[in-house]
Amino acid sequence: MSIDDRVARLLAELPVEPQFPTQGATLFIDLARRQVRQAYTPRKVVETFLAGRGANMFYLHRLLDETLDPTDPSVPLIFGSGVLTGLVPSAARGNATSWSPESGVLMDSNAGDYFPSFMKMNGLDHLVVYGPAEAWTWLWLGEGRVEFRDATPYLGLDNIDLRDRMAVDLDGTWTRDLAMASITRAGENQVMSSAIMAGPKACYARGGTGAKMGSLKVKAIVVQGQTHDFETAQPYKPYNKTIAMKLLGTSVVKHALRTMGTPFLYKPSRILGAMGTKNNQETTWTDQLDAEHITPYRPGMDGCFRCPVNCRPLNHLNDDAADKYGRGDGPEYVTLGKFGPNVGIDRLESVIRLNNICNDLGLDTASSGSTIAWAMELYQRGIIGTAHTGGLELTWGDAELVERLLFDLSRREGFGNVLADGTRAVERGHYPAEALKYRMAVKGLMQSDPHDARILKAFALGLAVATRGMDHLRNRVTLEINARVNDDPDFKAKLYGAPVAAKPNVYETKERAVRACENVYGVGDAVGMCRFTTKLFNSPSLPGLEQFSDQIANVTGLALDATALDRIGLNIMGVERLINQRLGVRRSDDTLPERWFDEEIEVGAYKGERIDRGEFDSMLSRFYEISGLNDEGVPAAAWRRELESVLAPA
Amino acid sequence: MAVTVRLPTTLRGDGPDTLTVTDSVATIADLVEVLDRRLPGFRAQWDDSMLNFAVNDEMVLHRAGERALADGDVVEVVPAISGG
Repeated sequence: MSIDDRVARLLAELPVEPQFPTQGATLFIDLARRQVRQAYTPRKVVETFLAGRGANMFYLHRLLDETLDPTDPSVPLIFGSGVLTGLVPSAARGNATSWSPESGVLMDSNAGDYFPSFMKMNGLDHLVVYGPAEAWTWLWLGEGRVEFRDATPYLGLDNIDLRDRMAVDLDGTWTRDLAMASITRAGENQVMSSAIMAGPKACYARGGTGAKMGSLKVKAIVVQGQTHDFETAQPYKPYNKTIAMKLLGTSVVKHALRTMGTPFLYKPSRILGAMGTKNNQETTWTDQLDAEHITPYRPGMDGCFRCPVNCRPLNHLNDDAADKYGRGDGPEYVTLGKFGPNVGIDRLESVIRLNNICNDLGLDTASSGSTIAWAMELYQRGIIGTAHTGGLELTWGDAELVERLLFDLSRREGFGNVLADGTRAVERGHYPAEALKYRMAVKGLMQSDPHDARILKAFALGLAVATRGMDHLRNRVTLEINARVNDDPDFKAKLYGAPVAAKPNVYETKERAVRACENVYGVGDAVGMCRFTTKLFNSPSLPGLEQFSDQIANVTGLALDATALDRIGLNIMGVERLINQRLGVRRSDDTLPERWFDEEIEVGAYKGERIDRGEFDSMLSRFYEISGLNDEGVPAAAWRRELESVLAPA
Repeated sequence: MAVTVRLPTTLRGDGPDTLTVTDSVATIADLVEVLDRRLPGFRAQWDDSMLNFAVNDEMVLHRAGERALADGDVVEVVPAISGG
């Protein structure tokens, strides 16, 4: 069945009017015919998956043809904003969903800045974009209409220049009346680690989103103007004050996120002996990259749409106006780790500069950094040599080399063409099969964060079972590193809904904490809340299901209590696993890199830790059992029928 | 007895980045009491699950209160958060 037939069949089922106050439309954007059709997500679907990431899965499940290739333009790219995106403090997020060109499994990536909120403010909850397009196009959205415009003048522009040009051409101002999701040359070239940029730094990073958008020949989607006037079910602004107070009163927000941002985690990981170094061959690195050393380079903080936290550290390296990368936005903790210890760089200025370059080139720093680190280890071991690299010596810590590799990767030039194929380098014949032994990836996706999870078994399980591949943002039980929580068993049990062992390096009961986090974070994505300010990720005190429930009722009138939302979190994971099953994912894919089973941590208080295969497998079985999954990791029969009755009613 | 305590910027403000505790502190639980007297807001941050301790460069992830301290130990107070 063609994408046209799939869309037509789906549209025939969808309501043509909003199903509750504030619900935005879903636009089906047909690039081939330059035609737009509009509908709304059915109420039952929203009550089962909410919007944002949740309803994105409904659309992908219905429109995906798994006999194609991820880069086929008939495989849609779906943007979704959360139920509360743009309406609630710190809820500025949305998701981009498709079939990942990078991993070959589910692609689902979350971003903030202004684009998701501007979608919502213009009455749009979801955009379903599919092709093929005859020529490179960019989409203008505003004043209740969509225009298909010629992207030729913008081809070849990276993030800084594209944003400058677009603002001038549209006579608009970013953050005031313009927001954009766009790709750079890396996306045009279908680089596997390319991102869809949503701001100067913010991006839909994971899974090769840029490559997917490039496969559709869509250079940018611009929303101009904030035009929507919301009528909510009940007054909601007073409760926003409660949420804002809760946010700003939490220690981690007040003392860390608002002052320095996320680089704080570098230090505890380093001291713990869990900082992935040189492609995780080692696990500790210099204190010169500790967050406090960034302070002299941080002129201020920035934030997303109407977020009171402002956790994004800006950077200023020099006053040279000709140096495009002398100032920028970031780095976040992931970038600090991936372009510091993971590639052997110990000079902070170099890491910041590489961060600024990645922002301009439109690269996911996690996958790009990991891909370079993987190549460096292969070179170190003699698995590849200068014959593979075009004469380049891939030496750990060579910041100038890494800078060059980033540019080459984004343009697919020289050895950059190999790096541009990311985790698929073996499959595409660039490296011998032996190289897979050193690839720090799960389900075809490089690890997102630099934390080496051989010590904290809940972290390890989370990385193994995350539906989009090896990514901590789907279910990270961060509070496992917090002794205050670990040492209060009653409080910890209440937090996760069941007792969880205090010791972080044991396997028993850790599946319960991962399950709880996965549910809360899934709901967080579906309402549009930032992960950093969602309960359990950074603090037990931040807004969670109870607060989401209250504000969903105020805004939409939907009565979904905390228990119902917890079930929705589970449902989102369930449909994601159904999609992954269609893409060939099985139990054996819920695993970890070989290195973590075979090699021990060599430093620190947890020297000798690794992942025991038998213990891990038992923990995985327990995770499946409490998640309602069968032995292959997909929803068991009764629940599957329940989900499918919503996904595709008879 | 003297224990050196290294402080993160979140606690030290404009003050020094280390302080020396000469009170009798047999465990981290004792040290928490001392730090709460000397550092405004320490208890609130500790109770709000933001801080960890590392003793002589080894992070204490559980049974922190019971962790014994000895003369000459260096205790680092480490903010523990995650990010993207």
